[in-house]
Amino acid sequence: MSEKIIEKNKGLVKADFSFWVGLWMDKFYDGFEQKKILANKCPQCGTVFVPPRKICGKCKVQLPLDENWMELGDTGTLVNFTRTAYKVTDRRARKAKSLNDIGMVKINGSDTAIIYPLLDFEPDEIKIGMDVKIKWADEPKGGPSDIEGFVNV
Amino acid sequence: MGRQVAIASAGFSEHASKRSDVSMPELVNEAIEDCLAKVPSVELNDIDAFVTGNMPAFEGSNMPELWMTDWMGGRDKPLMRVTTGGTTGGSVAISGYYTVTAELPGIDTVLAVSFEHQSQGDTSVGLASVAYGEISILNSLGIPYTQLNNLLSAGAAIGVAAYQATTYMNKCKITEEDLARVVVQNRRNAAKTWWAHLKMPDLTIEDVLDTPYVQYPLRYGMVCPASDGAVAMLFTTEEKAKDMCDIPVYVNGVASVANETAVLGYDGSGSAQVDPSAQIGAMKSAELAYSQAGISLPRKEIDYAEVYAPFPNQELMWVEKLGLFEETTAPEMYKTGVTARDGELPVNCSGGVNSTNAIGASAMERPAVSALQIMGKAGNQVPKTVHTSIGSGWGGSLNFITLMAMSDEPKRKWK
Amino acid sequence: MDKVGIVGYNQVKLYTDANYGRYEMIFEAVRGAIDSAGLKKKDVSTVVSATNDYYDGRTISNCFTVEVGGAYLADESKVEMDGAHAMLYGLLRILSGNHKLAVVWGGSMPSSYPYHSARLYETDPTWERPNGYVNDITASGFQMRAYMDKYGVSREDIAKVAVKNRKNAAKNPLAVEESQNPNITLSNVLESDIYADPVTELMVAPPCDGVAAVLLAPEKQALKITDKPVWITGVGWNQETYYLGERDLTTSNSMEKAGKMAYDAAGINDPRNEIDLAELSELYAHEELIFSEALGLAEKGKGSQLSSEIGGELPINASGGAIGGDAPCATGLIRIIDAVKQIRGEAGEYQVNNVNRAIATGQIGMCAQNNIVYVLEGGK
Repeated sequence: MSEKIIEKNKGLVKADFSFWVGLWMDKFYDGFEQKKILANKCPQCGTVFVPPRKICGKCKVQLPLDENWMELGDTGTLVNFTRTAYKVTDRRARKAKSLNDIGMVKINGSDTAIIYPLLDFEPDEIKIGMDVKIKWADEPKGGPSDIEGFVNV
Repeated sequence: MGRQVAIASAGFSEHASKRSDVSMPELVNEAIEDCLAKVPSVELNDIDAFVTGNMPAFEGSNMPELWMTDWMGGRDKPLMRVTTGGTTGGSVAISGYYTVTAELPGIDTVLAVSFEHQSQGDTSVGLASVAYGEISILNSLGIPYTQLNNLLSAGAAIGVAAYQATTYMNKCKITEEDLARVVVQNRRNAAKTWWAHLKMPDLTIEDVLDTPYVQYPLRYGMVCPASDGAVAMLFTTEEKAKDMCDIPVYVNGVASVANETAVLGYDGSGSAQVDPSAQIGAMKSAELAYSQAGISLPRKEIDYAEVYAPFPNQELMWVEKLGLFEETTAPEMYKTGVTARDGELPVNCSGGVNSTNAIGASAMERPAVSALQIMGKAGNQVPKTVHTSIGSGWGGSLNFITLMAMSDEPKRKWK
Repeated sequence: MDKVGIVGYNQVKLYTDANYGRYEMIFEAVRGAIDSAGLKKKDVSTVVSATNDYYDGRTISNCFTVEVGGAYLADESKVEMDGAHAMLYGLLRILSGNHKLAVVWGGSMPSSYPYHSARLYETDPTWERPNGYVNDITASGFQMRAYMDKYGVSREDIAKVAVKNRKNAAKNPLAVEESQNPNITLSNVLESDIYADPVTELMVAPPCDGVAAVLLAPEKQALKITDKPVWITGVGWNQETYYLGERDLTTSNSMEKAGKMAYDAAGINDPRNEIDLAELSELYAHEELIFSEALGLAEKGKGSQLSSEIGGELPINASGGAIGGDAPCATGLIRIIDAVKQIRGEAGEYQVNNVNRAIATGQIGMCAQNNIVYVLEGGK
């Protein structure tokens, strides 16, 4: 069998994306700029959504832009967590040297949980059902990274 | 095996170059609302299954219907994703038909949704990446990647369309004026279509010819826009459609026969599709769909057509390839008003893809408008009564086509 | 539901990094499937493929596969989900009466793209994606912990699934080499690196290069093509909501609904006793337990008590399952093929005796957001 020659061509193609968040998320992020968690509530089933929604998935009804909004506090309950060394970006996944704790937290008053890092916890401190508190960025910009993570209450 | 399928409704979101007021799921929801508004007896919860698609490269979002489940009303429902590039919308519509005709237990009413939120991404990169794998062979011949990238990005789709245009123009001796005439008709039609993008009620041939070339023979004024928009169609059984709407539209023929790819072929090995205006796949699709629909004389039996044509040369080519007019006669049909809104065989009264192109949605908008014309509910409704209509889609590397033939009578018969 | 038969199949050997290209692999799978049924290209009426634009790194990923996929001048389309979902569309096309022979193929080559990044593109770009904390890796950790926490299932119980499947994969010549571990022990799995705690690396189905293809035909044609058609007697598919923080991760709602839909169509009332074998697309060891419970093969929380090894009461993933190699867009189709092999007696070293009715599943999305279930039966 003859020798196979394999050529590798490398090139970088740049593609930028930017996503419209829509009016409901826009209001939510306005809240972030003031370090506030805003939520909205389905008029039919009463589910409180964080982040807020235009449609309730269960009832399939529209949630109005100007009604049934509420401001929730900074504290919540840890409902789940994991620990991984992997960091995944749009370009690749790489394994860091140490594990990072990621928690799933239901902000008090919300029916849906959000997912952010658990900051400065000792491994044996992390227990499902514990109270945690949001750590905001010092200067929030109105985007998802304004929440840096959760800390022990 | 198989049962009659009817379209009970179709709906659109508003199309614009930047729908910055909505997120992608909200855009989709708009089209679904418009679709269901026309059938008040149907609620989102009554939908038995969903089919959806878009061209994911344009938004940088992989399988966005996963994220959009709730906004589509798809929670806890059967949902299938179909994507075929430029023909996605047509493929989704066809899969909507197949999901109903298969007669699976409990699956009678299907919502088909397709969309594109193009302003979120880079359209030229999205289009160019069709052929990066093939183009890279030129890299090993010494052409640097940046140059290849520019080559592709400068007009991926327009590049292949221009190639298709010149071969067709050569065969059929059409002029640039003929091309401009098609554009004028489309843009003026779009002005009467509430959801269309480029509404130009006073456009003239001179206006179009007064723009610079992008790539011969296509001028800037002839090129389709990049639009944000969504469309939804409601497919159901013959019996249920009669309760939902006054004039159910029966899907009598569907086809999407694929050609081999044009331009470079595999790894630059060359393609046998030397003449991309030959379109054997399209001709076979027409044969297949028309025979299913019992149409033997398309020119006489089809009352209305929405033909997918981002560029005007394609509209002239497709109306011939799909059997509506004899080869080389299309330009004459446009000159003499046969394809005008009040003509014998109106074409693209919505303005067509030339006026509104949300790529994932546009191939569904063609059968959607054709169905609404039969129902009498289209934005730019034609004065004559439409009994039979067709909607086509085109895409891929000049090798894909979708075709749906519809009528106000259930004509699909199985041997 | 009219009878539709699987009349041919082919799957390429799975490799972490295959030594050949995408087009050759697709051609090998499809040509092999058509040949295996003794048919020709001209018999093919329709082709449905399963590929993903992000996995293939190109838009319209099916456009250059027309020729190698047998779709030249055939009525062609593409489902951008798992290969098992593409088979659904192939099934619909046959049931329509419009087509007499369908080719369904699917697959991708993760050796040529960053798998986790491509999966990251599935997440909500307006909320979760910019931070990257929600991805397929962390999602698996959340689900395993939720499941263990609610039902008191131990890590050992879950690791046993990985041990079983890796030993099974060693009997499957087409499984990926790295998963063929005949001598693997429970400690090997438990002590492997943390993936997303409590999931460890050896509990995870490794993404690998692969393509698979099946042929479908209506009853009359199927009986002429082969004397061992495998009938699709039931199908169900379902998608649950997206946000992990809103889902019950201790079970799989969409698998339960999809299973019920398939069972109803096939007339199955007691799945535990009416099904001889299951091939489930388990991307993580804990998913096999969660799925078997959602499918009614075991009570909730008791999946680990099922005797699911090859000689057991209800063998699950005798082929090694997805842990034996997860070729994105092909995995579910390969599960179907493995169930077909069992029914036809063609499973070689991992053959289970007397399999007449099996189920096969495919999935897509984080924590299996969308599942599809098939009931497959032998006999005339």
